Amino acid sequence: MVMASEDEVSLLVIVVDVNPIWWGQQANREPQFTLSKCLDAVMVMGNSHLVMTRNNKLAIIASHCQESHFLYPFKLWKSGDGHGDDNPSTSGDGKYELLSVANDIMAEEIKILMSRTEVKGNQTDTLLAGSLAKALCCILFIKMLTGQEIKSRILVIKAADDCALQYMNFMNVIFAAQKQSILIDACVLDSDSGLLQQACDITGGLYLMIPQKIALAQYLLWVFLPDSDQRSQLVLPPPVHVDYRAACFCHRNLIEIGYVCSVCLSIFCNFSPICTTCETAFKIPLPQMVKAKKKKLKPST
Amino acid sequence: MHLIADLSCPAMAALSEEVLLVVKRVRQRKQDGTLYLMAERIAWGPEGKDRFTVSHLYADIRQKISPDGKAKIQLQLVLHTGESTNFHFSNESTALRDRDAAKDLLQQLLPKFKKRANKELEEKNRMLQEDPVLFQLYKDLVVSQVISAEEFWANRLSLNNVDHSASNNKQEVGISAAFLADIRPQTDGCNGLRYNLTSDIIESIFRTYPAVKQKYAENVPHNLTEKEFWTRFFQSHYFHRDRISTGLQDIFSECAKQDEKGLRSMVVQGVKNPLVDLLSLEDKTLDEGYGSNSMAPSTSSANKTVKENSNSAIIKRFNHHSAMVLAAGNIGLSPRGPAVKIQEAIEYEDLHMENGKKTVALNLKKSDRYSHGPVPLLPQQYTTSQDIINSVNCIQQEIANYKPCLTQVMSSSTASSAIAALSPGGLLMQAGSQQAINQMVPSDVQGELKHLYTAAGELLRHFWSCFPVNTPFLEEKVVKMKSNLERFQMTKLRPFQEKIQRQYLSTNLTGHLEDMFQMAYNKFHAWQTRQMLRKT
Repeated sequence: MVMASEDEVSLLVIVVDVNPIWWGQQANREPQFTLSKCLDAVMVMGNSHLVMTRNNKLAIIASHCQESHFLYPFKLWKSGDGHGDDNPSTSGDGKYELLSVANDIMAEEIKILMSRTEVKGNQTDTLLAGSLAKALCCILFIKMLTGQEIKSRILVIKAADDCALQYMNFMNVIFAAQKQSILIDACVLDSDSGLLQQACDITGGLYLMIPQKIALAQYLLWVFLPDSDQRSQLVLPPPVHVDYRAACFCHRNLIEIGYVCSVCLSIFCNFSPICTTCETAFKIPLPQMVKAKKKKLKPST
Repeated sequence: MHLIADLSCPAMAALSEEVLLVVKRVRQRKQDGTLYLMAERIAWGPEGKDRFTVSHLYADIRQKISPDGKAKIQLQLVLHTGESTNFHFSNESTALRDRDAAKDLLQQLLPKFKKRANKELEEKNRMLQEDPVLFQLYKDLVVSQVISAEEFWANRLSLNNVDHSASNNKQEVGISAAFLADIRPQTDGCNGLRYNLTSDIIESIFRTYPAVKQKYAENVPHNLTEKEFWTRFFQSHYFHRDRISTGLQDIFSECAKQDEKGLRSMVVQGVKNPLVDLLSLEDKTLDEGYGSNSMAPSTSSANKTVKENSNSAIIKRFNHHSAMVLAAGNIGLSPRGPAVKIQEAIEYEDLHMENGKKTVALNLKKSDRYSHGPVPLLPQQYTTSQDIINSVNCIQQEIANYKPCLTQVMSSSTASSAIAALSPGGLLMQAGSQQAINQMVPSDVQGELKHLYTAAGELLRHFWSCFPVNTPFLEEKVVKMKSNLERFQMTKLRPFQEKIQRQYLSTNLTGHLEDMFQMAYNKFHAWQTRQMLRKT
């Protein structure tokens, strides 16, 4: 096993999808696994990461449909550990103080976040791209704080479906993460997400859709707790095949072979003489039409 | 000079080529006959017959060898293909003269034809040597007779003729002005000197001093060997600094006279460069009398002392040498007029105003398509507003009462089933058991498969380029290509398949190749049936 050096800081940012609409419906679908259970599993993961090494750092972002909110740490980092103003409530079970403080802060923050949810019909999608962008900023901030290169990764726990409108921002975030050598891992609870598959593929992280939601904690600890150096030594689920096919601009069907406008690069599944996006006219020489031979009609005798 | 053909010979009357030399009494393969050297070929016909049994184009002749000092006076011609023909000059009195005459004529004619034939062959050889993939393809297809050499080169040479013109404008290597000085002689140990001559230096000497080149052409290899020539060159006073013409009969004494003439003509010509005024350059030294002596020093050689004479000789030689080096380097450059030279001197291309091309602005009408990106529209689950309200309320209630209970996150059975799914062989680990094909197949098999693909690709390219079949040539070609494909499949593909089957490799490596061939056959059959229908 590769031993991390004494001073190496490893930062884990967990982005949890707390879309209230999805989780509310989930409470009806599967009462044994609700948002509370999910948050418990995330706390276990966070605690485990913090106790792996003294130099490990943690941040948790809740991705809501109206905002992205830091669950932990909740104030600006001053010295690397987030101390609250009030006395840390000693949980009385002899837990390592850092962990109990962290857990309390997280619980506090999620309550605050949920209580200020407003019901709006047009905002039902999780703001995942924004949360990822915040995670990247957090990582950058910690890098500036510690002044050294730190290993960092983002773990996304996703519940609701993809939002296609966030595509551009998403891709920008992915490429920025790739440039900064930040891994993006994804643990998907419900349905496959093409965008996250691409993110994991591009940045070198792991993508996993879990069959049993109630075992979320186990999956998190087994697959996502080791960092990238250790993963090469472990037998982990193989990478999924990513469908990189593009969807045509006209029907949004996934196509393998299509027509691309050379001016604006928009993709179409059928040839049309005028590109509908940029209104350029195209000429394609049609194959020579062979004249059909006229058959002589034999006079009937 | 050429001898007029003997028109009494009927064979000659049938010729339309100009006959340059006729030599009688030449034996070939122990038969008497006559040797004819014509404009483009050399031919020999036996005595009494009126047709040529031996005829070779000058382009085919690689080399002529005429061994000296043997009892028989012979001329041997070696062709490019390797075969050689021997001509024995059997006329007692004039044999040597005849042979030499024939040899000289050949010597003049062969270089003209040599370049044409060789270039193509050279080009082909070069291509094969540079590109190992091409070489392998050539071996696979042409050597094993699947496809003929002409077809192989048909597409490739035409591509390269375009490159030809580019490669012909290779930069010529200039001549170093110090090339003569660079041949530093090394002492041989016993009073001799060793001069190391490379072909580059020889070329420089020839280019700078065409007189020497001429001497070389005249004397080597008849009178002198190369070694002797160069030895004499270096011994001669022509080469040495103090060139006092001793009047010795030296092959190079003529060269010295020619150089004098050349220098004089150059001085007369002068330098036609409007930016350079050589005449205004003068040594302005304060001569005897510190400038008060108004007598200009005369430059004529009549009143000079011996020392001044030798100095001026060196300076003359130096100027001449530099002028020849420059002239040799400027061969091929077209002389430019003074106006052009001035223009070039005062303008810089980079500093001109850029005339920007007119561009067309991009005009996007539906740019929101890009923000959506090429991502498929996923079926959105429709949630009613009531659903939304309910869900939000439900969640808010739940979280308001949230208390983390980390000791009961999951049961042990759930945990162990999750571990089972993650262990090798489990639910989530299925895909990893498949090994990549390139790890299972040995590398030599992979290499062979690559060769097969290249060769098959080449054949299929020829096949598919025949369609649409418009001309009878294409018809023939398509039929031939189909048989070639079948032959390739028989001779190359099947043995490979059998080989990998024997090695118990269960992977289907040749399925795609078979598909490609089958598609070609289908197309051929379709075309054939259409042809037959058309004919009926």
